[in-house]
Amino acid sequence: MSPLAKKIKKSLESNAEQFHDIVDQHMDIPWQEFLRAWGELRAAEILKRDDAGGYFIKIKQK
Amino acid sequence: MNKNGFRDFLNDLEDAEQLKHIKKPVDCRQLSSLGDQVDEATIFENIIDYPGWRVATALVSTRKRLAIAMGCPENRVAFEFESRSTRPIKPISVKSAPCQEIVMEGDNVDLTTIPLPMMHLFDGGPYISGTFAISNDPEHGSNVGCYRLMYRTPNETGIDLVSPSDMRFYYQRALDKGEPLPIAIAVGVHPLDMLAASYKAPIDIDELALAGGLRGQALEMVKCKSLDLEVPADAEMILEGELLPIGWTADEGPFGEFSQISGDVKWNPVFRIKCITHRRDPIFYMLQMPWENDWLAAPVTEAAGLQALRIASVQPVDIRAPVGSCGYWSLIASIKKRPGEGKNAVAALLSVAEVKFVIVTDEDIDIYDPDELDWAIAFRVQANQDAIILEGARAKHIDPSVKSWLLGKGGLPTTAKLGIDATIPEGVPKILYRRIKNYGRDRFKLEDFE
Repeated sequence: MSPLAKKIKKSLESNAEQFHDIVDQHMDIPWQEFLRAWGELRAAEILKRDDAGGYFIKIKQK
Repeated sequence: MNKNGFRDFLNDLEDAEQLKHIKKPVDCRQLSSLGDQVDEATIFENIIDYPGWRVATALVSTRKRLAIAMGCPENRVAFEFESRSTRPIKPISVKSAPCQEIVMEGDNVDLTTIPLPMMHLFDGGPYISGTFAISNDPEHGSNVGCYRLMYRTPNETGIDLVSPSDMRFYYQRALDKGEPLPIAIAVGVHPLDMLAASYKAPIDIDELALAGGLRGQALEMVKCKSLDLEVPADAEMILEGELLPIGWTADEGPFGEFSQISGDVKWNPVFRIKCITHRRDPIFYMLQMPWENDWLAAPVTEAAGLQALRIASVQPVDIRAPVGSCGYWSLIASIKKRPGEGKNAVAALLSVAEVKFVIVTDEDIDIYDPDELDWAIAFRVQANQDAIILEGARAKHIDPSVKSWLLGKGGLPTTAKLGIDATIPEGVPKILYRRIKNYGRDRFKLEDFE
């Protein structure tokens, strides 16, 4: 997983966020690079949705 | 080569001074917001990090520009649509096409190389909003519709397939056999093609022939690179792939819907892309929500209303699907009425798609004037005699009042519908509706006294 995907993953493990919030936090990142990182998270099938449409990631229990 | 493709329409808009060019560099995250601030249609000439691409938007977000696409006056769009739809022209096949000048296949498929826009505040991801989606069923033949796509991965998108449609039916049939449904998505086609695609035609009607009828010229189609489907040769971009046989299980949305509401998360299939083709100098079409969708919806709803009235042997005079109800949920019509036909007309119009509110007036009412409509409703309607309510009719998920979230994944909602017969009631003499007119109004001219 790319560093950017790991960073977004870590953030979504602590809080649910709307997609636009995630975009806002990475406005300095080229759009294509952002989309690829987002695609990595999608491909990993770890993204969940809350009732308001926010994204979050459940931390696996050991 | 077709003479009235996507680029020809851009030229038409240019000639009508309805196309603004923005040449400064613009990021994909800025496209939709900037396009929304422009009165004209917009073409962004310089997309940051996407050299060679341009983005066009808001091409038909007014009735005026839709009339330019149709080549007729604004108040004749629905009648022109109805007339041309009776003269379908079958598509023809060609061997090569501009939409296949660049080909990405297999591992080279990468949606991130396309300037996918960030459109609305609460969207679940970047979207491809303006699509011309082609599918095929061994029994029912080809079908075309418009379905939004939400970016998921470089080779996958979500697709909104919650509402009843022919492609949903095709998908269900494939799903029942545990098979994927091959589909092809064209982006950047003429607005008339989009109108044909969004028309709720009977399942055996060929929307491609309908598009030809609207254009007045056969669509030129080319075979996909990876599928046994044909796509419009003059499109800007084609996505070839299949809907995975997973049913309504993947999150998709929210998206800024044509109901002017952000919507909610839906559960939908996934579109896996096998091949992307596009022009060498492609223009990505970003259908701007909600107005562009609403103005595309209106003539389709109006034409369906005209047909429903004619099938009911009622003679329409004028019809409009107000943009306040998104060109989709309401119909207002004036008719040349014979006894009983006010009710027949209401019943006919309530049968159109998901239309849930109908007003029918006599021909003396200007249905574009809200004060005239109020007057007709005030003085020609008895609520206990002239209001018709239908319950349990087909509905659309994006209407919050139908509470579709209670239905579970893949469920289909129903709605109640209201129709008002605002024609002069049977048994009330027309003389009672004589409008006030000043004595000598035609003879005494103010300019003679100034």
